[in-house]
Amino acid sequence: MKTELTERTRSSKLWRDIKRHKAIYLLLVIPMTYFFLFKYIPIWNGQIAFRNFMPRKGVLGSPWVGLANFTEFFESFYFWELLRNTVMYSVGKLLISVPLSIILAVFIYECRRPHLRRIVQTLTYLPHFLSWVIMYGILLVLLAPGDGLLNDIIKFFGGKRLDFLTNVNAFPWVVLFSDAWKEMGWGAIIFIAALMAIDPTLFEAAMVEGANSWQRVRYITLPSIRPVIIMVVLLRLGTILSGGFNQLYMLYSPSVFSVGDIIDTWVFRGLQEGKFALATAVGMFKGVMGLILIVVSNRLTKRASGSSLY
Amino acid sequence: MKKTLVMLLVLLAVLMTAPVFAAGTVETAKPAAPIDIDLWYGAAITEAGPPPSDWVGYQIVKDKLNINLKITALPSNEADQDVKISAAAAADNLPDIFMVRRETWLRLAGQGMLATVDDMYAKMPIRTKVQYDADSIGFTTIDGKSYGLASPGSIAKNEGVLIRKDWLDKLGLAVPKTTAEFMNVMKAFTYNDPDGNGKNDTYGYGAFIEINNYEEGLGRRLDPWFGAFGVAGTWNLTKADFGLNVRKSAYYDAMAYIKSMLDEGVMDPNWLSYKKDDFRAAWKQGRFGIMREQNAAFAAQSNYAPFDKNFPKGEWIIVEPPMGPTGKASVGVYTQAYRIYALSDKVTAAEKDAIARLLEWMSSDEGYFLLGWGVEGVNYTLKDGIPVATGVPNAEYAFTGAKGQPVTQLRNMVFYNGQVELISRYPTYKAEVSGRTMSALDVLFEMQKKAWTPNIGGDTLPPPSTDLKRFYEQGVAEFLTGRRVLTKANWDAWVAEFDKLGGKAWEDTAREKAIANGLLR
Repeated sequence: MKTELTERTRSSKLWRDIKRHKAIYLLLVIPMTYFFLFKYIPIWNGQIAFRNFMPRKGVLGSPWVGLANFTEFFESFYFWELLRNTVMYSVGKLLISVPLSIILAVFIYECRRPHLRRIVQTLTYLPHFLSWVIMYGILLVLLAPGDGLLNDIIKFFGGKRLDFLTNVNAFPWVVLFSDAWKEMGWGAIIFIAALMAIDPTLFEAAMVEGANSWQRVRYITLPSIRPVIIMVVLLRLGTILSGGFNQLYMLYSPSVFSVGDIIDTWVFRGLQEGKFALATAVGMFKGVMGLILIVVSNRLTKRASGSSLY
Repeated sequence: MKKTLVMLLVLLAVLMTAPVFAAGTVETAKPAAPIDIDLWYGAAITEAGPPPSDWVGYQIVKDKLNINLKITALPSNEADQDVKISAAAAADNLPDIFMVRRETWLRLAGQGMLATVDDMYAKMPIRTKVQYDADSIGFTTIDGKSYGLASPGSIAKNEGVLIRKDWLDKLGLAVPKTTAEFMNVMKAFTYNDPDGNGKNDTYGYGAFIEINNYEEGLGRRLDPWFGAFGVAGTWNLTKADFGLNVRKSAYYDAMAYIKSMLDEGVMDPNWLSYKKDDFRAAWKQGRFGIMREQNAAFAAQSNYAPFDKNFPKGEWIIVEPPMGPTGKASVGVYTQAYRIYALSDKVTAAEKDAIARLLEWMSSDEGYFLLGWGVEGVNYTLKDGIPVATGVPNAEYAFTGAKGQPVTQLRNMVFYNGQVELISRYPTYKAEVSGRTMSALDVLFEMQKKAWTPNIGGDTLPPPSTDLKRFYEQGVAEFLTGRRVLTKANWDAWVAEFDKLGGKAWEDTAREKAIANGLLR
């Protein structure tokens, strides 16, 4: 009897809450609808990963094939190479782009000249809005072996020209640093927002105590934004099996397939052959792996540092 | 009172039923509602936009054919076209009629997603006469049923080997004929400052990788070199020596020759990084002196203008492709190119009839000129029966102008490479700076006279698996970049691995298909 009463009280309290904050709940309806329509309903179609999907027969009419689509992926001649390349680019971008974004955010935050701050912010955000098609054109001007700016400099100093875009040793670095260049400014936004939330009296107190800039960054700034850094890293771990399709698809060529072909570019070439079931199977594999990584790393982080995503 | 009530009820009943009868009368007098037709087309000019929403064609089609036409341009990149169509197929949402590449078409037909079109030919007598013949119908026929409408595609043999004659003259060199002579000329172009600017900034040969299923490996821009060794294109379609060229020993010889071009430094080192536009910008900037290029991309007025401006004294000539050690030569392979328009199997009989009406109208005089050149007096004028871009009130709206081009986006649905089209499309003109007389049509005819390798049906043979395709393309590229050392032993080992991965099986499957379809000559 008491439990029933408690339940009723709880539900009427919830209802009162909803009524009181109806505008906020109404706003919540929009993203909820989006997620329901575009994220949850398609899960139903995920079953084609286990079927020989034939559009005319539909999802339910296509015959079951068990794990055949997964097997085709795992038994691909290039499976391990695709996995290696994908993880290499994801981890590499994480290791390069995130620290650079943090450093940029700190610099922007610490900059005491508003004009310079605005100019730097704009210049570093700008590449984010360029498509990889345009970025490729810029990279070609900079890196082409025949007349690229960088090769002209190398030649000027007596070095040998290098085809950065088609050399297997240079290509991964081009991918990692071009991504960092493009996304560093955009990635810094969230860290700048976190920096803005730090209580300024902490800095004032530190200055009174005689802390220099580096000490303020080390003992106040970085610890204060640590939860945000952890959140960003954890979220990116969830997409570790997506190495950056748009970028790689634009930049790679047959001569660098061995270091440029990732899971998504391989799947895309399969899609050209209409292999939707295979693409779904790979997508499911990536999703499950991402989920596992997020859950495990979240727990480990929570245990080690006390901060976590949830 | 009762009487009044009854009268009122009767009046009310009459008033309520009157509109029903009235509507019935109007309905029988009204023409049938327009039929919606969704068309996905391949744009004729990929850099221009679609026809505007107030395009006169929509109204004509609605008024005369009772069709609400909705058109959507497919992506210009063939791979992206395939993905868009495959995605629509996966969602069981194919448009009523759409352009499709043969490989994708074959797959859709196999999945039962395409309507048969055999009954449509008789309903389109004018169009069938100019667009479809036994060969084209055969191109889309499976088990005796036609599953698509195949129109003449791009003009065959419309590319050629071009060389900078002004560079040859400056260096006192003759037009090269053999691969050895070509090498000497390429070296001279690279190291003897052919443009006389005092800089070491020119190369012998320029190319980029442009691959399709019948020009695999390094693609068509390097095919003249493979042609010199008798292995141009993906397939050898002769009865005596059918098979994948990459599995033939002469392919290694061709690879060794191309590797020597790279080792000698006579090839533009950007070739692996270039996309099509980069390559075209490069020859217009005078970076190299020999290339394989398409007739219009080279000689059409707007395409030639930048080169003309940069090098008013520059001159390209079309030459015979290089002749190899055994006397073989070929610009590359050619096939009978068709453009397939397929119908979704979900179209109703009425929609299918409407599509037949639409296509027949397109091939009528009215449709042909409207889709091909626009509106007379606005987008073109007639000169001796040939549509020309001159004499229109606003040159911007001429069919060659920026605002006129969008109204000709559907022209590939009506063109059949007839004389009127060719003369109109490739008019003779004087280059603005040099005053040189140019004609992309003359260039085309000249290119067609050179040595080519017939490969009719090569594009209909099965494609390799995703992994095998990558292995093939990656392997040949790596031998040239030096990642793999090009020796006969290494090459044979690579071919053996290629076979193990499915290369031999691919060839066997293709052989069966080629024999069954009578493709071997």
